Amino acid sequence: MANDKSNFQLVANGILAENPIFKLALSMCPAVGISTTVMNGVMLGIAVLFVQVFSSVTISLFKDFIHPRIRIPTYTLTIATWVTVIDLTLAATMPEAYAKMGIFVKIIVAFAIITMRLEMFACKEPVSSSFWDGLGMGLGFLVGMVVIGAVREILGSGALLGYDILGFKPLLFFILPSAGFFVVGLMMAFFNYIEIVYKKSREQR
Amino acid sequence: MKKTTLLIRLAFTALLLCLLPVFAMADGLIKEKSFGEENEIIVKFAAPVDPQALQNFDNYTVYEEDDPDIRISLERVVVAEDNMSASLFFENSLNTTKRHIVSIAGISGKAEETFAVAKSYLGYLFSVMIASLLINNFVFTKYLGLCVFFGTSKRKTTAKGMGVVFTLVMVAAGLMSWFFYQYILKPYNLTFLQIVVFIGLTSLTVQAIDTILRKVNPVLFNSFGVFLVLVIANCVVIAVPLIMASNEYNFFETFMLSLGAGGGFLLALYLMSSVSERMRLAKIPPTFQGLPIAFIVAGQFAMAFLGFSGLKLF
Amino acid sequence: MKDILTIIFRLTLSCILAATVMGTTFVLTNKAKKHNEHVKEERVAFSLLGFEGEAPESVAMNTVYRYVVSRAGEQFIGYLMPGENDGYVFLQLDLDGNLVTSDEVNLTDEKVRQQADREGGIMNAIGPGNAIRFAEQFQVISNSDERAAYLITGKFPGYKTNIAVMMALNTDFSIIGFEVLEHEEDPGLGGEIEKPYFKNQFKDKPFEVMRDIDVIKEPIPNEYLEALERDLPPEQIEEIMEKYRGNDIYALTGATISAVAVADGLKGMIKKFAYRVSLLDSVTEKNESVSVIF
Repeated sequence: MANDKSNFQLVANGILAENPIFKLALSMCPAVGISTTVMNGVMLGIAVLFVQVFSSVTISLFKDFIHPRIRIPTYTLTIATWVTVIDLTLAATMPEAYAKMGIFVKIIVAFAIITMRLEMFACKEPVSSSFWDGLGMGLGFLVGMVVIGAVREILGSGALLGYDILGFKPLLFFILPSAGFFVVGLMMAFFNYIEIVYKKSREQR
Repeated sequence: MKKTTLLIRLAFTALLLCLLPVFAMADGLIKEKSFGEENEIIVKFAAPVDPQALQNFDNYTVYEEDDPDIRISLERVVVAEDNMSASLFFENSLNTTKRHIVSIAGISGKAEETFAVAKSYLGYLFSVMIASLLINNFVFTKYLGLCVFFGTSKRKTTAKGMGVVFTLVMVAAGLMSWFFYQYILKPYNLTFLQIVVFIGLTSLTVQAIDTILRKVNPVLFNSFGVFLVLVIANCVVIAVPLIMASNEYNFFETFMLSLGAGGGFLLALYLMSSVSERMRLAKIPPTFQGLPIAFIVAGQFAMAFLGFSGLKLF
Repeated sequence: MKDILTIIFRLTLSCILAATVMGTTFVLTNKAKKHNEHVKEERVAFSLLGFEGEAPESVAMNTVYRYVVSRAGEQFIGYLMPGENDGYVFLQLDLDGNLVTSDEVNLTDEKVRQQADREGGIMNAIGPGNAIRFAEQFQVISNSDERAAYLITGKFPGYKTNIAVMMALNTDFSIIGFEVLEHEEDPGLGGEIEKPYFKNQFKDKPFEVMRDIDVIKEPIPNEYLEALERDLPPEQIEEIMEKYRGNDIYALTGATISAVAVADGLKGMIKKFAYRVSLLDSVTEKNESVSVIF
C-alpha cells in the first residue's frame, strides 16, 4: 500500500483528524488520571511521544524481518523495551516529576494507541513516513493531555504551569480525581457540538 | 448466566474460608483485644474480672512496643456490666501503626496479665483487598483500563463475563509475577526488566487460560472465550504486578490486591452496564451521545466512590 | 518445521536486541537513580534547616540510633551516639532514665550506616544474653560545636493510609518546620497537608503550646491566611504569626481528620523526643565518665 500523504499531513492527521484522545478515544487512562496540571500532561505526553516514535521507526526498519505469525509479541517486546528505556531515563534525570506520574509511565506499555499504529501503519510503510506518523500521534496525545491539564489547572487551582494567574480558586472540584471524567466528557461533547454546527452550516450553503 | 453466579459464589466462599482464623484466637484470661476509637483499647476477658482492680490506674502499664520508657497515661476505664470486658480510654489518641503493650496487675492469679495490641494481620490483608476494591477502585479512582471499561460496559451479561475473566487473569498473573519478581528479578538485580517480564507473564497467563478453558470446560469457554483476547496487554492487568513490585508486597498481600482489583473492575463494569442499559431508553442530546455521556456517568460514579475514601473496617 | 525454526531464530534475535538496548540504558542510568534515592531526604532536611543546597562547613550532623535492649526479662533503652574519642558509644538507660552502662563500640562512620554492621558492632560491645531491637534514629545538628537543631522523622495514621513526616526542632523543642514525606490523602482535600499555608501554622510553635495542641474547626482568619501564605511584607507576617503563636491549629476545609492526624502525630513525636533528649542531657551531665558528642 503506497502512502500518498505528505509528512505534514501525517502529523496533522495525528493531532486533529485522528487525535488519539478526543477522536479515537484510546489511551484514556492517563488523560483522566494524572491530567491535574499542565506539567504532568507535558511530561507524560513527551514520554508517549518518545515511545511512539521510536517503536514506529523500529518496527518500520525491521518490517521485512518480522515473521507475520509472531507480529503481536514482537510489537509488545519493542514497546516494552522503549518504555523501559524512557522509564529508567526519567527516573534518573527527573526524579520529582517521575514520582508524580507514578505508575502511569510504566503503563504506557499497555496503551492501545501505540500497538494500533504499529499494526495499521508502521508495519507497511517506509521508515520516514512511519516516523512522521508516530510524531503526529504522539503530538496529538501530548496536545490532548495539555488541553485537559490546562482546563483542570485553571478551573481547579486558578494557576497555569504552577503560576497563579487568576488569583483565586474557582472550583476545587476540578482538582479532585473524579473531575477528570467530567472534563474529558464535556470536552468530547464540545468537539461533537462544533462538528455538528459545522456540518449544518455547510449543508445550508 | 448461571455459570457466572456460581463462580462469584465460589469466590466468596473461598474468601470466607480464608478469613475464618480471625474468629479463632484465644489464650488465657484475655480473650480479645483490639483498638477501638482513636484513643481506646477494648479488652474482652474469658471470665469475670474484679471491677475495682480494673478501675485502679496504678495497675496498668501501657506503652508502645518501641517506647517502653514512655508510659501512656489512662484517662478513664469503662467496665461492662457483666465484668467481662473493659474499654481503656487514653488521654491522647493512639498511634495505631505501632504495637501497644498493655500490662494489667491484680486481675488474675498471676502478678500481671501482659498482652500486645496491634492491628490484626488478617484484618490488614482484608483491608488491602477492600482498599483495592472500593477505596482505590482501579477504574474510578486509579483510572486504569478505561478503554475496555467503556468498550464492554454496554450489556450486563458481557460486563459480568468480562469482570470474571479479568479477575481470574489478574490473580493468576499477579501471583506468577510475584514469584518471578521475588525469586528471579530481585536476587539478580534485574528489576529494570520488570515491564517486559510482567507484560510477558500476563500474555502467557491469558494464553494458558485460553487453552485450559477450551479443553476442560468448552461451555464456559464459549461464553468467556471472546473476552480473553481483550485482556491481553490491558493496563488494569499489568498494573497489579507493577503496584505489587513498587510496594514490595508479600504473597498474601499480592493475592488480596489482585482479588480486590479484579473484583473492583467487575463491580465497576456491572454498575456502568446497568446504567448503560437504562441510558439506551433515555433521550440524550446528540452532542452527548456515545462516549461523552458515558464519561459523565463514570465521573458521577467516581464521585460516589470518593465517599469510600477513609473507610476503615479493621 | 522450517517455519518454527525461523520464528525461533527471529524471536531470539529480537530479544537479544531488546536486551542490549535495555541493558545499556540500565548501566547508563543506574548510578544517577541510586544517587536520587537519598537526595530527596537530604534536600528536605536541608530546606527545613534553612541551608541552601549544601550545609555550611561549621555544621555537623550526628545521627543517634535508638534501640530497645532486653535482657533477663527487663527492658532498657540503648542509644548509639558518636563518642568524643573516635568510634561510637552505646548508652543504656533503664526505663526510669538512669544510666545503666556505657560501652565503647568499635565502628567506622561507613559501617554505622549499614544496619547489619551496626547491630553486629553493638552486640560485640554489650556481650551475649542481650537482644536488641532498632526503634528509631534522629539527627542532632550542631553549628560550631554548639547544638543548633534536631531532625526527627515519624509515621502515624492519616485519613486513608499512613503519613510520614520529617520535622526540624530548635533546641528548646519549638518547631522550625516540618515536611510531609509520604501520604495518600485525597488531592485537594486531605492532600492540602502538604501546602505551605497548613505547614506554616506549625512554624515556631513553642513546645508548651505543642504539648496540648488541638485543632479548631473554623476557617482560618483572613489576615492569618495571608501571613501563612507569605503574601505580606516580612515585618507584618512576623507580627501576625506572633499573634497566633499560642493558638491551636486551624483545620483544613473538608479534611478535619487529616489535619487532626497531623497535629496529633507531631504532638506525640515532639513530646516523646523532648522527654528523651532531656533525659540524655541530664545523664551526660551527671556522669562525667560518659564521653559522647551530644
